[in-house]
Amino acid sequence: MAVESPAPAAAARIDRLERIWAERPGLTGWLTTTDHKRIALLYLATSLAFFAAGGAEALAMRTQLAQPNERVIGPATYDQLMTMHGVTMIFFFVIPLSIGAFGNYLVPLMIGARDMAFPRMNALSYWLFLGSGLLVYTSLLLGMAPDAGWFDYVPLASRRFSPGLGIDFYALGLILNGVSSSAAAANFLVTIAKLRAPGMSLNRMPLFCYAILATSFSLIFALPPLTADLVFLELDRKLGFKFFDVAHGGDPLLWQHLFWIFGHPEVYIIVLPAFGIATSIIPTFTRRMMAAFPLVAVAELLVAFIGFGVWVHHMFATGLPATTMVFFAAASLIIVIPSGIQIFAWCMTMVTGRPEFKTPLLFIVGFIVFFVFGGLSGITLAAVPFDQQVTDTYYVVAHFHYVIWGAAVFPLLGGLYYWFPKVTGRMYYERVGQLTFWLVFAGTNLTFFPMHISGMLGMPRRVWTYPGGLGWNVENLLSTIGAFFLAGGLVVLLANLVVSAYRGAPAGPNPFGGGTLEWATSSPPPAYNFDVIPQVTSAYACWDDADRADDRRRLETGELVLEEGHETTASTPVDGHLDEILHMPSESPWPFVLGIVATLGTAFVLTDHYLIAAVAVALAAAVLTLWHAKEPAAA
Amino acid sequence: MTTAPVPRARPNGWYGMLALVAAESALFATLLATYAYLRFSDPRWPPPGIEPPSITAPLVLALVLVAASAPLAIASRTARRRGAGPLVAPVALALVIQAVYLAFQVHLYADDLGRFSAGGSAYGSIYFTLLAVHHAHVGVGVLLDGWLLTRLRGDLTEYRRGAVMAVALYWYFVSLAGLAVTATILIPAW
Repeated sequence: MAVESPAPAAAARIDRLERIWAERPGLTGWLTTTDHKRIALLYLATSLAFFAAGGAEALAMRTQLAQPNERVIGPATYDQLMTMHGVTMIFFFVIPLSIGAFGNYLVPLMIGARDMAFPRMNALSYWLFLGSGLLVYTSLLLGMAPDAGWFDYVPLASRRFSPGLGIDFYALGLILNGVSSSAAAANFLVTIAKLRAPGMSLNRMPLFCYAILATSFSLIFALPPLTADLVFLELDRKLGFKFFDVAHGGDPLLWQHLFWIFGHPEVYIIVLPAFGIATSIIPTFTRRMMAAFPLVAVAELLVAFIGFGVWVHHMFATGLPATTMVFFAAASLIIVIPSGIQIFAWCMTMVTGRPEFKTPLLFIVGFIVFFVFGGLSGITLAAVPFDQQVTDTYYVVAHFHYVIWGAAVFPLLGGLYYWFPKVTGRMYYERVGQLTFWLVFAGTNLTFFPMHISGMLGMPRRVWTYPGGLGWNVENLLSTIGAFFLAGGLVVLLANLVVSAYRGAPAGPNPFGGGTLEWATSSPPPAYNFDVIPQVTSAYACWDDADRADDRRRLETGELVLEEGHETTASTPVDGHLDEILHMPSESPWPFVLGIVATLGTAFVLTDHYLIAAVAVALAAAVLTLWHAKEPAAA
Repeated sequence: MTTAPVPRARPNGWYGMLALVAAESALFATLLATYAYLRFSDPRWPPPGIEPPSITAPLVLALVLVAASAPLAIASRTARRRGAGPLVAPVALALVIQAVYLAFQVHLYADDLGRFSAGGSAYGSIYFTLLAVHHAHVGVGVLLDGWLLTRLRGDLTEYRRGAVMAVALYWYFVSLAGLAVTATILIPAW
């Protein structure tokens, strides 16, 4: 399409599209952008910065634990680093990277749309996320970071036992973060339901979009319990409410229930986009469609659904009735079934295809290995008696790092390589990429495998140091060496991508022969994504040469070029029939302004300036009015 | 040139509101479940010294709030079918009923605060939190009504039709949530 030299009529149309979709240059352009691709790049840069911070925290902890009786950092600092590491990696790295960066960049491209359904709300999601991250990290700079662990159990997190502001930073920052994620999820739901290209009925939608759909459903229903929980906590801490106070009829276990009603779906929120990336990379490098395509789509949705029925397996050691525990143990075993369907489908696709083990596919193979391994240790934890033995030991730390680091982040790393040519228009260095995979794979095993053993030997998690002579020394030293090895591998990965961005060979629109629509446009894609809205007749639209040739013909005739305004198509939610032409909002300063107002308002609540916070709420309402002052042109 | 076909599906704004309503339903479900959880972990409910809530006023008010959705349903139907029926009058009627409802509820809330405190017991905490969240939703809805009325004075564009449908959907949800909230806070009075 855009790469070939178009005929005069087509060239004039492309020219018009360029003018209509151009945004302001420079910094102003980044602050006011509503382009889903630029917002995705903002998410990418921000989440990687938080990843570096979370990684540095991990290395500091591993240094402290390298040998018994170390005194590199003290217990108070250790608690803060441990809490910040968990909060950062989950809320400020994995979710923003998978949903914010990958989801934002790819979903509109994969469904053949020119933007998200609500482009300005998309920008708002990013600015709120940035605000929440900066707010929480302010606490670390002030030396008063939260220190009650990422799940922040009361009564430790109550005002009586944590009198500082740390917990308030945590609670209010995560409320802001939750608003950001909810808005993003709503945006994806409507985008996926309505903005699919004509002809893309649900059965022709790429599996990555199914994964984002399932994730968005989970976010929409999982975040409110967390938000309510955090509000209860702040009401208890700031205004003396009694939700968690046993002496006045409250119950600390209420915190745990609500936290894990969010917290376990959260695990699948983290891992589902990774599944989606795996189902994108595998067909491309094995030259065939995903095996069991409909089953995989349903399995992705089922994982998200059953994920809501397993939360009590985080609470097997809290003295709940046996019947309750048996129910949740059973549900925790059942969720293996949809996960298993996907694993078998991935393996079957590779076995029956002609796999070419380039870097992205290597990371997916690594992911499958880690997912099976972490899944199996997860099954051991679903057995209540075993769980009660190893709960709060390093065995649990080993398990969830295999799942969250190995299974959820490896596909993200593979995805960074896979879509790098699309985003930058240049190739990465393949040999270095493959080497990086082996470095990171080995580093991961070296870091996290010994933790299974130290956990079985009784090493509790969250301790800042330990005496010698307990048999944990070798395991801990190995983990620390592994952590630095792993960090080294990640530095090589980053260096490869940064150098390639400037010096890599030109990539062309579809260097790997991918089958989904993002490969049908130029690399990097133009601001309007496609010269002409594609028509879709199968799930791997980019492999349908006749349809893509038809796109080029329609560019000549002007059919569905939408060159008269900032427009994209809307289709019916199930069948994907062309339904209407939408006038999309263009760049706007208000999301950025609202992000600042909301963040400052939250900061004033944090410091007990309720009157100023109320002024911020009024200001936010005023900003919203201005935001909506300009209506889209009549259709 | 492509001419825009007449839309067959509901507008994006309506779907966006549906997503918001889904999230809000999870929020209210959490609050109601919290009420039930605390209720069953404390046999003295409400704790000694606190009168159970009176039945009549909350029940009547809840029904009034549900009734206010009727004119909005009519307006939403007109907007969806591109009919010629009035839009401003039903929205204005709903606004008046809902605003009066909110005024009564705020009065009752202030009265309750004079009788017992949110910080005195878990009962007080969940009682006042649950009601405050519900009233806040009514307040936001009244603002939405007002904003909608300023827009409906001009031409009836697709955008404004969508807004009528989305605001009506919001109110259906808030009214139903209001019924659930009322039924829950009246548990000690049964």
